[in-house]
Order: sequence, then C-alpha cells, then structure tokens
Amino acid sequence: MTDDAIVRIRGLTTVLNGKTIFDNLDLDIPRGRITAIMGPSGTGKTTLLKHITGQMRGDAGSVEVDGENVPALSRERLFGLRERIGYLFQNSALLTDFDVFENVAFPLRQHTRLPEELIRNIVLNKLQAVGLRGAARLMPTELSGGMARRVALARAIVFDPALILYDEPFVGLDPIALNQVLLLIRTLNQTLGITSVLVAHELAAVQKVAERVYLIANGKVVAQGAPDSLADDGSPWTAQFFGGEADGPVPFQYPAGDYATALGFPGGKA
Amino acid sequence: MTAKGDNVVIRSLTQIGACGLFLLTILAAVPRSLRHGRETVRQIWFVGAMSLTIVMTCGLFVGMVLGLQLYDVLSIFGGTSATGTVVAIAIYRELGPVVTALLFAGRAGTSVTAEIGLMRATDQLDAMEMMAVDPIAYVAVPRFLAGVVALPLLGVVFCAMGVFGGHLVGVTWLGIDNGTFWSNMTATVDVHKDIVNGVLLKSFAFGIVVSLIAVFQGYTTPPTSEGVAYATTRTVVASSIAILALDFVLTSFLI
Repeated sequence: MTDDAIVRIRGLTTVLNGKTIFDNLDLDIPRGRITAIMGPSGTGKTTLLKHITGQMRGDAGSVEVDGENVPALSRERLFGLRERIGYLFQNSALLTDFDVFENVAFPLRQHTRLPEELIRNIVLNKLQAVGLRGAARLMPTELSGGMARRVALARAIVFDPALILYDEPFVGLDPIALNQVLLLIRTLNQTLGITSVLVAHELAAVQKVAERVYLIANGKVVAQGAPDSLADDGSPWTAQFFGGEADGPVPFQYPAGDYATALGFPGGKA
Repeated sequence: MTAKGDNVVIRSLTQIGACGLFLLTILAAVPRSLRHGRETVRQIWFVGAMSLTIVMTCGLFVGMVLGLQLYDVLSIFGGTSATGTVVAIAIYRELGPVVTALLFAGRAGTSVTAEIGLMRATDQLDAMEMMAVDPIAYVAVPRFLAGVVALPLLGVVFCAMGVFGGHLVGVTWLGIDNGTFWSNMTATVDVHKDIVNGVLLKSFAFGIVVSLIAVFQGYTTPPTSEGVAYATTRTVVASSIAILALDFVLTSFLI
C-alpha cells in the first residue's frame, strides 16, 4: 500500500440488487501517478469510480479522496471536492445544447465570475492542449468519437484538477485517436502532475501509460502491480484475463439452473 | 421503485407519490436556481414563445367553431345577440385554460420530457453532477418555472384568439351586430370570476401540473431509447388526465 495515496479505499462493501459488487475491497491510488483499474465486464470498475466521486455510496467501508471521507461529505463539500476532480465519461457526455467552446467553458461559467476575456483564454488554452482549438465552434454532433473525447478531456481539465478519472477512454477509438488520447493522458500527468485513474480493458494501451494496475474480479483486488509483470504473476485470474480465455474463474456460462431440467428432460436435477 | 408483480393501482400511486416528492425537491432547489436566471428565460422562450403558433391557430379555430355552433343553436330561440357572451364565457372559463394546457402538454411537455430523458441517457446529467453543477437547479427547475410562467400567458393568447375567432364568424360572416356582440360580452363577463379565476388561476395550476409531470418523467426515465419513448407518452397521458380531473376540482370550488 502507498503512503502518499490521493485515493484510499478500505473495506468497501457494496451490494446492488442482491449482488455483491465489492467485498471488503482495499485499494490505494498513488498521488501523481497513472493507475489503471482493469477487470472483466460487469465487475464494477465504473461503479468504483462512482464511489470515488460520491455518486454512489457503499454499504460499508471508507473511501477517502484527498483526505476527505467521501460518503460522509455534505452535498456542498462533495461538490467542492468534485471541483478538484476531472471525470471523463465513456461516451464523453458533452452538453448537446452548447458548442465545443461553451462545453469547455461551462464549469468556469458555473463556478466563477471570471471576465469573458479570461474565460476565452483558458478555454482556448485547454482546447489547444487537446489539439482542437480550431473546432471551438463545432457542435457536439459534428465531432467524431475521438474528437468528442478530447473535448470532454479539455472540459475535465479546465479547473486543473488534482485527480482525473478516465472511464473506458480507449473504447471505440481508431488507432490514431487512441494514440492521441494516450499521449494526452501521459502529457497531462507529466506536465501538470495530475493523478490519473484509468478504467480500461485494453492491456496494450494500459501498458503504454499506466505505472500501476489493479485487476478487480469477484468484488476484490485479485492482482496488482506494474503492468508488464502483472500478466505473469501466475494467478488464474490474470491468466484468464490477460490470456483472453473464454472460461476460467470468470465462467463462460452465466449462473443458471440445471440445463437438463430447463430442457424438460426427466431425471434432471431439481 | 416498483416490483414487476405490482398492480397498476399501486404503480400509479407510487408514481404520484414520487412525483409529489419530486415537486418538493424542485421547490427546495428554486433558491439555488436563481443564479441560472438566463437558463430560465431561455426555457420560457423555448416552451412559451415556440408554442405560440399552435396555441394561436387552435384558439382561432376553437373560437370560430364555437361561434358557428352557438349561432346555430341560439338562432332557434332568437338569441343570436348572446353569441359573443357565450363564446367568451365558454372560452374564458373552460376551453381557454383546458385546451391550452392540453396543447402545451403535447407541444412543450413532450419536448421537455424527451430532452431531459436524452440528457439522462447520454450521461449529461451525471456530467453536470461531476462538474459540481446541480442538475435539479440547472435543468429541472428552469424548465418547471418556464412552464408555470408560460402557460397562463399562452392561455390569455388562446382566449384572445378564440374571442377574435368568434367575432370573425359571428359578426363578419353571420352578420351579428358588432356593438351588440361586444356590449353583451363586456356586460356579462366578470373580470374576477371569468378571467382571473378562469383563465389565469386555472392556467397557473395546469402549468404547475403539466411542467411537473414533464420534468419528472424526463428526469426519472430509464436511460434507454424505449424508456424515453414511454416517458414521452406518459407525459401526454398523465398530463391530459391530470388537467381534466384538476379542472373539475377547480371548477367545483370556483363556480
């Protein structure tokens, strides 16, 4: 475990609709680093991000972000904390009423009374950083998936947050757009010292940027370490996940009753 | 919310209860939304001004058909001079506020539901939460207030067009004396009972109900295309029933 952790999760237990999502989960996100959270689909990776941002609360355990216990925060203090967190949604979640410029300016207009000139300079600076200053007046519907994600990234960093959470940032991107996003994640981390948390499936992409990987399955951290060495740690979870095996600790069959009984054969298990 | 086995009565009561709680949430957020005044004005333009065409057109035709029918019936008794009076009272007390509210639910209510539902489905509301912007204060309250402000104004416009339509048919087409049409109307119509209680109070009440239902359905819709489609339909159905039921209750107190 890390001493200087910006996110410290201890004993997190979450049950949703009778299904245990997290079972006494412990996890630290080191400050100033890029950490990836990986795991099979439906294992609760995005749900974990929602616990970090306070959108969801666990049934037990603590989630500390920058020294604040998130589940115990009042709405005002939670909003104060969120101003220090950038969040990149999987589908970018740009506001469709506004153009690119206004999307990036939105948090500034809502939380500050900066003069228009300064807002313009900040927004253009962020758009330049993601390579889309020329697209400032386009509407979200006119953007490709990769461009929309970069605009969302510009919006997420408009307040220079201490922590950015990327929810599946590589999904649906062509190789060029994927490398652009990878470059941005690395640059933001190195130049601004922003702590980054990636939720992703793509091991090749994660290996290029992440310094630490947590593999989550069955509600727990089943493996952790440097991305290069993690695949060889010998556990059945990593062997299946990184080897892409169809069956293993994560079963191919969704839990179901006896097959023979379901087909109506006599002698099936009750 | 509701289990699959619940019957329609329990589901409806649960929805009404949730809608009532949502109203309290909206009212509590009104002070926080005052800083989004520009958004409220934008929404008044969107739901109010953009509904003017349909409201004016329908108001005109309702007035015209009412004038025609009344002239036909009143001529049996030789009372065609009362056409203007009856057109005005029918429109001010009932048709104006009720038809305007039904039109408003179909034109503006559905678009508000679909807009908020799609914002939910595309994570825009969650994105606002993550940017420390309260979506109730920024999205729900301005649209709610816009409906509450716009509907009485639209009701007045509908009534004006309705009376104009009645005049067009009664006086211009069928030859009722212009002075009789107006003097009978002004002598009989009571400003407080027919216009304040009739048009304005009813429209205000309908504005609250329709806007609440539209915003509630959009805000709580499942984030799927099917969910948004159902929510939009529910807005029209629930609003129509609520408008007509509330109209009866209000009329029984006001008459």
